Amino acid sequence: MKEEETKRWKQEAEIEQAVAAEARPDLRDPNVVLSLLEADQVVAAKTHTRFGRRKLSAGIRAMLWGLRIYVFVMLVIVLISVLRALHGAP
Amino acid sequence: MPRERKSHKTDSFETAQLTTESAVASSHAQDLVGQLTHEDVDRAHDRWRVARARWIGRGWKSLGGLQVLWLLVGPGVLVFLGENDAPSMLSYSADGARYGIGFFIPFVVLTFAMGFIVQEMTVRLGAVTHRGHAELIFDRFGRFWGLFSMADLVFGNFLTLVAEFIGVRAGLSFFGIRPGIAVGGALLLVLAVITTGRYWTWERITMGLAIFNGLFIPAALLAHPDWQAVGHALVTWSPLPRGDRAEIVLLILSTIGATVTPWMLFFQQSAVVDKGMQPRDIKAGRIDTLLGTVLATVFAIAAILATVPLFHHGINAADFEYAQFAQALVPWLGHAGGALVALGMFEAGIVAAIAISTSSAYAFGEVFGTAHSLNRPFREAWPFYLILLGSACAAAALVLIPHAPLEFIVLIVNVIAVLAMPPALVFLLMLVNDRELMGEHRNNFGMNVAGVTVTILLVIAGLGFAVATVMPSLLGG
Repeated sequence: MKEEETKRWKQEAEIEQAVAAEARPDLRDPNVVLSLLEADQVVAAKTHTRFGRRKLSAGIRAMLWGLRIYVFVMLVIVLISVLRALHGAP
Repeated sequence: MPRERKSHKTDSFETAQLTTESAVASSHAQDLVGQLTHEDVDRAHDRWRVARARWIGRGWKSLGGLQVLWLLVGPGVLVFLGENDAPSMLSYSADGARYGIGFFIPFVVLTFAMGFIVQEMTVRLGAVTHRGHAELIFDRFGRFWGLFSMADLVFGNFLTLVAEFIGVRAGLSFFGIRPGIAVGGALLLVLAVITTGRYWTWERITMGLAIFNGLFIPAALLAHPDWQAVGHALVTWSPLPRGDRAEIVLLILSTIGATVTPWMLFFQQSAVVDKGMQPRDIKAGRIDTLLGTVLATVFAIAAILATVPLFHHGINAADFEYAQFAQALVPWLGHAGGALVALGMFEAGIVAAIAISTSSAYAFGEVFGTAHSLNRPFREAWPFYLILLGSACAAAALVLIPHAPLEFIVLIVNVIAVLAMPPALVFLLMLVNDRELMGEHRNNFGMNVAGVTVTILLVIAGLGFAVATVMPSLLGG
């Protein structure tokens, strides 16, 4: 498996180098475009694929809720602070 | 090296199987041939330039490396110089004018170091997944948490955009330019930059504008700073700020918010994706981010030093707004010095307005699945461009409304950025530790320690602000 990957990686590097050696690549040729991009970098490939949801443990969910409450409470405190500042309170 | 990823199905999409294999060698190559877009072709052109620079420079490494670096820098420099925005420069100016040379100089260095730690993670996320930050949050954590995250971003971005246009208006008012003309001109500039239809051109023009953030350096030199005191402050973190502790806490929070904010995470990751960076470019992305960090730190310290004469002459800068700093500095820096500060404020506002409105547009496109690239022409990505322009126009219009609560916005914009940061950082840390997404590029132990430390420091800063507001007696204020 490792050898196969190394072989493929070398082939891909050769393809890219061949294009890089050209003073002006013909980007009207789709194969030239594809040779310069990674498989999951092409817009069509990204449009039709999504990463799946990851499972959130109870601990992580509790942390996310805690941070959400933190933000909400802090926003209220900001509001208090600004109202005081605008009304010139000490 | 190519990596395989565990697969899992979603309702209407195939599972993303990210690898670093070339598209032409992929098993889907024939399907992709007929579906290439303008965006793909432009991105391939940018990739060819990088590949050619590597190929040409293979014999003489350092010069070849420099050319590759020149092609790959951008998102990191832009995000940090964009974050040296109008409210940030106002915070730094307030630091210098209120407390002189001392604690705030090393503190700014520390906050930028924190900024570098988190922004480097977005480089890796973007280069490895080729997905924007908003898209990954929605994909991995679902709509519920994604919407919270987007609400923080949209709310913060809009307030910050308003503050940028206030900065633009105030900066140009130093030269007697009317608010309508100043804000209208800034909007035209935002429009002009995006009409290029190319990410590369947009990036280079915006970087060209951003470098004028350096105007604070000559302004600082005109203030004849005491370099020995600067060196002493950097080493000893002293003298510490004295006076109203609640005010000091607010200024500390505001200074942190001038360096690390949620929009930066979203912007840099999306820009890395739009630029077409790949895992092999991560090293260059790090250098880009470091370069941005160093430039922004130097310019921020220059802004502090430029306003130190106000501290030495006992000028009360407590309620100063943008242009007032420039006007107040004229007796010590001369008209040229005041003009440099005013122009710096204008530049800070305009560059950030471009970057932040683009950040909102990227996030919108990523969440709603519409085209979201500066490589797309308007007809292909009109929702992206309309969001970009619409958010800028709405913020600009608010600035021109008589009696709008602008003072309120300037007061809270940096503080809100700090308070919204911990949840954003937790999502970032979970994404960048996600083995399925990141493979070998996920965080190592040291990176996680640094990331968690930054998150804890921001929570502590937020709690300090809460105590200073609700129970000021606890701080002795």
